[in-house]
Amino acid sequence: MDDFQSAEEAAFVVDEVSNIIKESIESAIGGNAYQHNKVNQWTSNVVEQCLNQLTKLGKPFKYIVTCVIMQKNGAGLHTASSCFWDNTTDGSCTVRWENKTMYCIVSVFGLSI
Amino acid sequence: MSTSDMSHARDKAARLLRRRGSASSMASTQQQSIHHQSGIGPRGKHGSMSTVSYNDTHDHDNPRIPVKMEPTYQMEPAKKFPTGSVQTIISDVLSNYLQEEKYEPEMCRQMTKTISEVVKARVKDLMVPRYKVICVIHIGQKGEQGIRVGSRCLWDSGYDTFATSEFRNNSLFAIGTVYAVYHE
Repeated sequence: MDDFQSAEEAAFVVDEVSNIIKESIESAIGGNAYQHNKVNQWTSNVVEQCLNQLTKLGKPFKYIVTCVIMQKNGAGLHTASSCFWDNTTDGSCTVRWENKTMYCIVSVFGLSI
Repeated sequence: MSTSDMSHARDKAARLLRRRGSASSMASTQQQSIHHQSGIGPRGKHGSMSTVSYNDTHDHDNPRIPVKMEPTYQMEPAKKFPTGSVQTIISDVLSNYLQEEKYEPEMCRQMTKTISEVVKARVKDLMVPRYKVICVIHIGQKGEQGIRVGSRCLWDSGYDTFATSEFRNNSLFAIGTVYAVYHE
């Protein structure tokens, strides 16, 4: 079968994805301070917007987007991921974002179809 | 410290962080941790900042030679991903490793990596063919802080699935999630 997509078009481009993540966080949270009753909404907005933008790239990928928002009060948080996948096609990108009152960690995993 | 010193230090820290991210000891693991005193990365608007990490274990110079195989005519997984047993694995591993532990930054830094590798290995041992596995572990210190973990996936809900489990003791909490994605 012919492959109609060039390598670049079908690859997971980290820069592209990290920009999408940053924009989603900025537009969903922006300059807000941590508010308990808003966090629910923010997390869904961030993942929702990320996925929307990722779909618009029109690449042959399945995506997993995770988002953690934690209030800053001196407590530590560690996150790690391990993957069993095809290293040549699949990729991941994590953005850690913070302002004065909270941390937001967003990870995107792209798995080629 | 003057402002230029500060920004110099921040640049250096960011570089170090990036190097650590790419030179991770375990090839398929990417890990990051945050502490309240860290201030790395470029300043955004709203006084926020961000850092990016990614896996760069891609081997673009030596692309894998495609193997010609006969068609299998198999349109769906032979065995569905066993969500239940995976959930048991996650909660097993989390409680085995963390039961007696108190929150310590350095220990938890290692622990997140170890646990994610162990969970991945145990899920691989289930030998579910054609499934790609992603395992995400969060460990946090228990405090008065609020935290929200959420995820959303663009996938085939018929075959792709996830399992998650949570553990907490007096000083820490841990959340483990395994995503299983069908790949033909």
